[in-house]
Amino acid sequence: MSKKRVGAKHQIDDPEHWVDQYGDYLYRFALSRVKDPSTAEDLVQETLLAALSARNNFQGRSAGRTWFIAILKHKIVDHIRKRVREQASDKVESLSDATENESLDSHFQDNGAWQIRPSKWAINPMKIYEQKEFMDVLYSCLGELPERLAKAFMMREIDGLSTVEICKVLNISATNSWVMLYRARMWLRRCLENKWIRTEE
Amino acid sequence: MQHWMFNCRDISQKVSESMDRSLPLHHRMLITVHLLMCQYCNRFKQQMKSLRNAVRLNDLPQDETDPTLSLSKETRNRIKQSLKSRLSQD
Repeated sequence: MSKKRVGAKHQIDDPEHWVDQYGDYLYRFALSRVKDPSTAEDLVQETLLAALSARNNFQGRSAGRTWFIAILKHKIVDHIRKRVREQASDKVESLSDATENESLDSHFQDNGAWQIRPSKWAINPMKIYEQKEFMDVLYSCLGELPERLAKAFMMREIDGLSTVEICKVLNISATNSWVMLYRARMWLRRCLENKWIRTEE
Repeated sequence: MQHWMFNCRDISQKVSESMDRSLPLHHRMLITVHLLMCQYCNRFKQQMKSLRNAVRLNDLPQDETDPTLSLSKETRNRIKQSLKSRLSQD
C-alpha cells in the first residue's frame, strides 16, 4: 500500500486497509463453512460492504477482527438459508415462522420428562472447532432455524448482545426474549441430534 | 409441577434462561439439585455450553489456517473497488 502507515486503532476507519488486513482470515473462515472458493470470495465482499454501511455504529464494541467475523457468520447463515430454501422449495412451509411457535410439547412427556433424552455429544468443548462435521451440521441447522428465532439467537450468541438490547431491536418483552432463545436452543439441539451421529443413549 | 421442585422441562428452560440473565438464588439451587440427580439434564446443560462455544468461535482448525489459502490479487482489487465505489456513494 502506498499510503503511509496508520495506527491499528484508526484502521477500522479506513476501509481500504480492510481487505489487506482481514481479507485472508475472513476468506479462510468462509471457505471452511461453504467450501466453494468463489462463494467464499463473495461472502468476504458482502461482509466488508456490510461493515462499511455499519461502521458508524462501531464504537469500539470489540476488536476489529471479531466484528468482521460476526458479520461474516451472519452472511454465511444467510447464504445457507437461501440454499436450503432453494433446495426444498416444497418444504418452505416447514421453514416459515409458523414453526417458530410450534409447541415444545414434543420435546417432553406429559410429566415433564425428556421425550428424546439428550445424548452425550462426543465433542471436546475446548476444541470444538476441530470437529468439522459438528460445525458443518451446526451451520446447516442455523440455516434451517425459523427466521425470527434465528435472528434472536444470532444477536445473542454471535453479536453477543444482551437480552435488553435484543428486546429493543425486536420490540419484544424480556420474557419473550428468554422464551425465543429457549425455543431456538431446543430447536437447534434437536436438529443437531437428528443430523449428527448420536453417540450414546 | 409442584412449585418446590422442577421437572426436566422446567430445568431445561431455566438452564437456557441462566445463559441470558442471572437467576434468583433459589432457582439456581433447584437447578443444582436437579442436575445432581439427572444425567440427561446434565447432558443438556453440556450441550448448551457446546452450542454456545461453537457459535461464538472465531478460530479455525489448524489445517484451515494454511497460509496459501488467500484471496487472489484480482479478488482483492475487485473487493477494494467495490468498497471504494460504495464509499463514493456515501
